[in-house]
Amino acid sequence: MIKNFNIWYISSLFITLVVAIPIITVFFSFFDITSEYYTLLKNTFLVNYISNSLILLSGVLLLTALFGITSAYLVSFFIFPGVNFFKWAFILSFAVPAYIYAYSLTAFFENYGTAFTILTNIFGEYEYNKYIPKFDGMMGSIISMSFSLFAYVYVLTRASFYYQSQNLIEVGKNLGFSSKESFFKIILPSARPSIIAGLSLVAMECLSDFGTVSFFSISTLTTGIYNAWISFDDLNTANQLSFILLAFILILFLIENYSRGAAKYHQPSRGLKAIPKIALSKKKSFFAIIFCTLLFFFSFIFPVSQMLYWTLKFPKYFQDIDLLSLNLNTITLVLISTTILIFFSFLTNYGNRISKSKFLNYLSTFSISGYAIPGVILAVALITFFAELSNLFSHLGFSSFKSLFIGSIFGLSIAYFVRFFSLSFNGIKSGYLKINHSIDESAYLLGYSKFKTFSKIHLPYLKNSIFLVGVLITIEIIKELPITLILRPFNFETFATKAYAYASQDLLEAAALPSLFLIGWASIFILISSKYILSEK
Amino acid sequence: MSKNFFDIQNATFTASENNKVNNVNLSIEKEGEIISLLGPSGIGKTTILRTIAGLQKLQSGKILLNDKIISSKEYNLEPEKRNIALSFQDNCLFPNYNILDNINFGAKRRKSAKFKYVADDLIKILHLEGLKKKFPHQISAGEAQRVSIARSLMSNPDLLLLDEPFANIDQSLKEDLQSKIKKLLKEINLTTIIVTHDSYEAFYMADKCGIILGQSLKQYDIPYNIHHEPNSIEVAKFLNRGVFINAKVIDNDCAVHQLKHEELGLIEGKLTNQFKVGSIVKLLIQPEDLDHDDKSKLKLKVVDRKFRGTNFIYTLQTNSNERIPVFVHSHHIHQHKLNESFGIKSPIYIDHLVCF
Repeated sequence: MIKNFNIWYISSLFITLVVAIPIITVFFSFFDITSEYYTLLKNTFLVNYISNSLILLSGVLLLTALFGITSAYLVSFFIFPGVNFFKWAFILSFAVPAYIYAYSLTAFFENYGTAFTILTNIFGEYEYNKYIPKFDGMMGSIISMSFSLFAYVYVLTRASFYYQSQNLIEVGKNLGFSSKESFFKIILPSARPSIIAGLSLVAMECLSDFGTVSFFSISTLTTGIYNAWISFDDLNTANQLSFILLAFILILFLIENYSRGAAKYHQPSRGLKAIPKIALSKKKSFFAIIFCTLLFFFSFIFPVSQMLYWTLKFPKYFQDIDLLSLNLNTITLVLISTTILIFFSFLTNYGNRISKSKFLNYLSTFSISGYAIPGVILAVALITFFAELSNLFSHLGFSSFKSLFIGSIFGLSIAYFVRFFSLSFNGIKSGYLKINHSIDESAYLLGYSKFKTFSKIHLPYLKNSIFLVGVLITIEIIKELPITLILRPFNFETFATKAYAYASQDLLEAAALPSLFLIGWASIFILISSKYILSEK
Repeated sequence: MSKNFFDIQNATFTASENNKVNNVNLSIEKEGEIISLLGPSGIGKTTILRTIAGLQKLQSGKILLNDKIISSKEYNLEPEKRNIALSFQDNCLFPNYNILDNINFGAKRRKSAKFKYVADDLIKILHLEGLKKKFPHQISAGEAQRVSIARSLMSNPDLLLLDEPFANIDQSLKEDLQSKIKKLLKEINLTTIIVTHDSYEAFYMADKCGIILGQSLKQYDIPYNIHHEPNSIEVAKFLNRGVFINAKVIDNDCAVHQLKHEELGLIEGKLTNQFKVGSIVKLLIQPEDLDHDDKSKLKLKVVDRKFRGTNFIYTLQTNSNERIPVFVHSHHIHQHKLNESFGIKSPIYIDHLVCF
C-alpha cells in the first residue's frame, strides 16, 4: 500500500476525511459531557421527538408506497389515454420540495385561505372556514412529504417493472394466474428490492427533512437539533441528538444498500423483451386516468397554482425581492459546487479504475455515505468541527480561521460536497462502468498514455454523464434548505432560504415568488434530465 | 543474450492461483513467424498474451523482444512503450469513435513508413465494407473482432498478439479470413502469436504451435509434429485425434520397428520413443493410421459411424473392448452398417509409432 501511495490515494483519502468530519464529530460528541439542556431534553421531549419522527416516517412510507407503486404499475403495464404524458409528469413532483408543498397546503386550506376565496367567489359569502379541512401539524407534514417524495418509489419501481422478464409473466399466465394474481404473486415480489430501495430513500429524506416539520411546528429529531443549536446555543446537545438520528439513518442506509444489491439480479444481462402493454377497457381507463390526474394534480399542479396565484395576487413582492441576486447566488453555488464535485468524482473514479485497489474502493464506498447525513446534522457538525479546530489553532498562537469555513461560500461548498458527492461519484461511475477495461488497455497498447486515454477516450464518452451529474446537482442545490440556511454567508439568500424566511414569519404570500422560481428552475432541469431519470437502465 | 527475435525464458504467468502457467520457455527465432498457443479454455493462454503486452506483471523469468528485456520480475516496460499490439477477444473498440476512426486510431503509434496499407485496404481484406461510419454498438461481435484486428494491424507493431481472433466469426467467413490474414501477416513479415482453442485453426495459421495443459507448456513444435508425434498422452488426448491401445514391442532394432497387438496382429513403423523389446506400451492409433480393406481377413465389428462430409469415421471394437477409429473416404464403394464386420488391411503399417 505504501508503495502505491500516489495522487489517487491522496485524493481519495482527502475526500474520505472530508466526508468523515461530520460523522466523527457527531460520534465523539455523543460521548462528550452531557449538558443540562440535554438532560432536561432526555427527561422531557426526547421520547416525543423520536415518536413524532417515527409517526411521520410511517405515514409518509405508507402513502409514498401507495402512490409510487400504483402509478408505476399503471404506466408500466397498461395503455390508456395520457399514459405517455403521466410517465414523465410524475417526476415533476421532484421539483417541489416538501417545505414548499407545505406552504401551498397551508395557504389553500387555512382560514380565509385560497379554498375560502374560491368558495366565496362561486357560492357567495358564508362561514366556509368551519367546513374546510385543516391540514396542518402531523397530517400536513405527512401529506406534503408524501406528494413530494413518492417519485423516488415511482422511478425505481417503474424501472424494475420494465426489467421484469416477460417470460416470467407469460409463465404466470400459462399457469392460469389472473392479472390480479400475477401482480401480487409475480410482479410485486420481483420488484420488491427496488420498492424497498425507493422507500429507504424516502425514509432518509423524511427523517432528514427540516423545512416541513419546522413550518408545521412538529418536534422531530431534526428540529430538535436545529433548536438545540439556534435557540439554546448548545452544539453538544445538537450533536448528541444527531447521533440518535444518524443511527436511524444508518439502518435505512444499510437496508437500501442491501436491497439495491439484490435488485441488480433482476436485470437481465443481455437483451430486453419489452413487456407488451395491455389496453385498458373504457371503464378501467377512466379510473386509471382519474388516479393519475389526481396524483399529478396534487403533486405538482396544486402547489404551482397556489404559488402562481399568490405571486400574481401580490405583485408588490416583485419589487421587494431582489430576484437578480437570488438567481446569481444560486448560479454561483451551482457552478462552484458542480465543478468541485465533478473534478473530484473523476479523480476518484479514474484512480479506482487504474489502480484496481481494494483499499481505494473501500474509501470511495465510505465517501459516498455523505448523502445519508441529514443537512441539519451536516451543517451543525461542520460548525462544531471547524470551531473546535480553529480554537485549537488559536491556542497554538495562530489567528482564527473560523470565518473561512463558517458563514462562507467556501464552507457551504464543503457541506454540499459531503452531501452530494455520492450523486456525482455514482453518476460518473455508472458512465465508467460502460467502458470496458480492455478499452483502456487497447489504448495503451496503441501507444496512448494514461492521460491521453483519459482525454481522448473517457472524457468524450462520459460527456453525457457529466451533463447529467451537473443537472442533478443543480436540482439538489436549488432545493437544498437546511445546509444553506445554517452555513450561508450573512445576507446571502437563495430561493429556498428566502421562501423559508418569509414562511417562518408567516408571510406565505411573500414566500410564493421565490418558491415559484425554485419550482420553475427545478422543473426545467428535471425535464432536461427526464430522459435519464426515466431510463430503464 | 539471446539471438532470437522473441524469447520467453523460465517465465511464470499468473492471473490467479488456478490460472497460471509455470516455467514457460518459448522462442521465435525469426521475425515474421506465426506461432499459436493452443489449450483448453481458462488455462491461462490469455494471461500469457496480456503479460507479453505488459498489461500484467511477470511472476518470474523474463521476456525479451529484439534482444531487450521487456518483462521480468523486477521490470515491466509500460504497455504503451512496447510496440506490441493485442487484439482482445471481447469488444474493446472505442465506443465514441466510428469504425473508420477506430481503425485509424492504430496509425498514431506507427513509427515506420514502410507499412504500405491504409485503413481502406484493411477494411476490404477483412470484409468490413459498409461499416466505416457505424459505431461499435451498431455492429456484430464478429465484425467488432475484425475491426479490432484491423486497428492492431494499422499500428504496424513489432509483435502482434491475437486472442481467439476468429471466435465470433461465422464458419463460412472464417476460412476465407484465416487465409487472407495469414497471407497479409506473411507479406508484411509481422511476427504474431495467436491464442486459440481450435487445433485446426492453430495448425493452419501457425509455423509453430505451443500446447498448454495443466499449468505448463507441454509441447512446442511444428503443427505436423504436434499432430503426429505428440510428446505425451495428455497432448494426444487433448488433440482428441486417436485412441491408445496396448501393444507389445517385439523389435526395436531394425529400420522398421515392430509391435504386436493381440487382435490386430503385427504393427510396423518407426517408434518415436525407445522401448525395450518385450515391454507393453500404449500405442496411439489415429483414424488415418489404419486402411480399410474389404478383402482382408482381419475384421472388427462396427459399433459407430460418423459422417464427416469428406469421410466417414468408423469406430471398430476389438474383443477386449478397445475402440479404434478408422477413416474411410465418403465415396468408398459401399457403406458399412452397425454391427457389420469391417476389414482392415494387414499387416498394419504406421509411419510414426507413438508409444508411451
